[in-house]
Amino acid sequence: MNRKLPEYTVSLRNLFRVYGTLFAGVLIILCFSILSPDFASVDNMINISRQISFLVIIALGATLVMAVGEFDLSIGAMASLGGVIAAKLAVSGQPIWLCILIPLVSSLVIGYINGWVVTKFRVLSFITTLAMGTILGGITFWLTDGATIFENIPESFRYLGQEMWFTIPILSFIMLFLTFVFWYIMSHTPFGRRLYAIGGNESASRNAGVSVAINKNMAFALCAMLATLAGILMASRLGSAQPTSGDGLFLPAYAAVFLGMTSFKEGVPNIWGTFVGAAIIGILANGLTMLEVPSFLQDVVTGCIVIAAVILQKTGRDSS
Amino acid sequence: MLEVKELDKRFGFHYALSKISLDVQAGEIHALIGENGAGKSTLIKILTGIYQVDSGKIFWNGQDIQIREPKAARKIGIQVVHQDRQLIRSFTGYENLFLGMSYPKQKWALGIHWKQMRVEAEEVKKRLGIQLNLSKLAKDMSPSEKTMLEIMRAAMMDCRLLILDEPTAALNDEESELLYALIHKLVAKGTSILYVSHRMNEILRLSHRVTVMRNGKIAGTFPTNEMNKDKLVQLMTNQDGTTKVREHKSSLTGKPEVLRLTGISSMDQKVKHISLDVKQGEIVGVFGLAGSGRTELLETIYGTRKRKSGKVEIQGERVESISPKHSLSKGIILIPEDRRGDGLVLDMSIRENMTLSTLSRFSSLFHMRKQREQTEVHAWMERLQVKATSSEQAIKELSGGNQQKVVFAKALLSKPILFLCDEPTQAVDVMTREEIHQLLREQTTQDSGVLFVSSDVQEVLEIADRIFVVHDGATVAEFQNEAVTAEQILQVCYNQRKLSDVENE
Repeated sequence: MNRKLPEYTVSLRNLFRVYGTLFAGVLIILCFSILSPDFASVDNMINISRQISFLVIIALGATLVMAVGEFDLSIGAMASLGGVIAAKLAVSGQPIWLCILIPLVSSLVIGYINGWVVTKFRVLSFITTLAMGTILGGITFWLTDGATIFENIPESFRYLGQEMWFTIPILSFIMLFLTFVFWYIMSHTPFGRRLYAIGGNESASRNAGVSVAINKNMAFALCAMLATLAGILMASRLGSAQPTSGDGLFLPAYAAVFLGMTSFKEGVPNIWGTFVGAAIIGILANGLTMLEVPSFLQDVVTGCIVIAAVILQKTGRDSS
Repeated sequence: MLEVKELDKRFGFHYALSKISLDVQAGEIHALIGENGAGKSTLIKILTGIYQVDSGKIFWNGQDIQIREPKAARKIGIQVVHQDRQLIRSFTGYENLFLGMSYPKQKWALGIHWKQMRVEAEEVKKRLGIQLNLSKLAKDMSPSEKTMLEIMRAAMMDCRLLILDEPTAALNDEESELLYALIHKLVAKGTSILYVSHRMNEILRLSHRVTVMRNGKIAGTFPTNEMNKDKLVQLMTNQDGTTKVREHKSSLTGKPEVLRLTGISSMDQKVKHISLDVKQGEIVGVFGLAGSGRTELLETIYGTRKRKSGKVEIQGERVESISPKHSLSKGIILIPEDRRGDGLVLDMSIRENMTLSTLSRFSSLFHMRKQREQTEVHAWMERLQVKATSSEQAIKELSGGNQQKVVFAKALLSKPILFLCDEPTQAVDVMTREEIHQLLREQTTQDSGVLFVSSDVQEVLEIADRIFVVHDGATVAEFQNEAVTAEQILQVCYNQRKLSDVENE
């Protein structure tokens, strides 16, 4: 009976709760547009879309793992290793498709191992992936001796990272394509439904006949693959592979997921939320740089915004 | 000393307690008994400030009081030793003892004065005549030692009324004797005891008065010396002819078996060599007291608990059920006891919960057919009369009964031939309870079998065609549900308990 009464107010509040983060993003864009005349230009928007592509791709994977209620701390190291392997293969003269395929396939295996350790031996994913990250970092260092790979990298290796289609970077296309694909997977396939069910209640999912272990392992595998792809694309963009290039993506990736959890599907990791979260972080970095804010302050601002968003979402939720 | 008047407590539409009146005198051992779900635990939780009453009054030494939080209860002198021990496993006895109190501090520093703590603890030990090594970690202590420790902890605070919730459940006779001696010592010092137990013998021996609870009401308070075991059981079960007459069923003889268990045991020995069978169209009840292994039996069949040995046959075909997924594919479905913990994904909608077991039916290739899903879910919501705003409503917003209906719809969607129901009507209103019973009966007319676990004897008698009694992980009796009474069934349980006590000596 009483559920019909406050429809208007509820929907307005819900609207804000569900799209609040999106509004905040728009607000940030407006602020920067006023403060810096160059910010709102088409060129800069294209630039931002390229800058955030790595972050979006790696964060998509983190979203999957968080959807099943786990954590993958090895994604940064995974990205670095991916870039290094791809670059090494390119230098050794392998065809470009192989340079991409080999690291992607190996990362699927590594990610699956992450999942397997977690599900089979019931080790906390925190610990497992922290250790895996250390292992991968070691391997990367062994492959590179700690030096950046930049000599003799063929032109073709730079294609995906530096070229444009119709004046839009290929990177941006890849980012949008993957976001769309994973949105589809998470919300329109049985697999996605199962991942969310596992994250929601593992025991109930098991009782409902869901293979918890296999689905979790798959989430870890896909997460590792996306991290590796981000690493490869970054190497392609830079035309070189640094042994620590992916490390800087790790924290922002989770920040993006957490920001994303505050929007669309409230409290649940979701793909478009992650996209918006990553975009906000990217836009902040871009805008603050344009305003010549020193980079340490940028980090401070980004961190504060994540905390504020999560608090806002929590209080919004409790008051309902 | 303590007097409660006309307490009411509701959970949703369900009355957990109604018009409870009770008094405990100073220095009295007052026993509280009743079947599972009679409301004993709820009453204790109210007295210790965990739950708040909906109406009614509590008087403490003649004063009208309200107990708003556990701290408040402790402050006025109501201490409790819960059934599930409230100790920190990785702390020593000393550390646990002082938990929640201010640790003795060193004079000029902020550090804990360990020596002082030990001295104080030894004093209490001497005062109560307890032998206990307090430097042991709680996790290394036996159940008896843990109970002693908790009572010590209670005694260190201002302890006017000590509530003991099944303190001897995990103790053997010798340990129980120690506990009785301790209780007498406390009572001699003027402490009152509210003693909750299933064990008739100790209640008859220990208590001055006994209060019997039944279905959230008081069935009566009596001086213990006027009571005996039979009278108590009769009061608990209320055999005054109000039991519903079960619908007569056409003979099941000659019907093929849906399920046959031959000597199955679980890895952790919670289930020991159980054999039973369920025929097509039959509802088999499994009754046992708390901790008897009834839930574990279902889990072992379904595959959530590891099976060690034994044979499970479904329609004559042997299944090595290693996972719930496999069981489901064989037509077995479990309705778990803990609906929210093991049955539902609370953050998901009704639709998403209902189709979780049967996702492949609603998808072609990789695509979810949401339209088809929607239609089917609506059909089931209508059929089971799930009350909700829409199929997209979050499941956590529904009442317990409606949640359970969704659990059943999910089960029915997988077209099972064997239902393993674990307390399916727990915390469900009376209407839904009837609906669930009706649903299960309907299923049996379509030749499904049901294994129905309940801690409520009346319910088992109401619905089952045949009843197995389990105790300590094994079946101890089998009854055709024709002339058997609740008293007979309970008697078996209590006698078993006595027997196993004897064995432990």
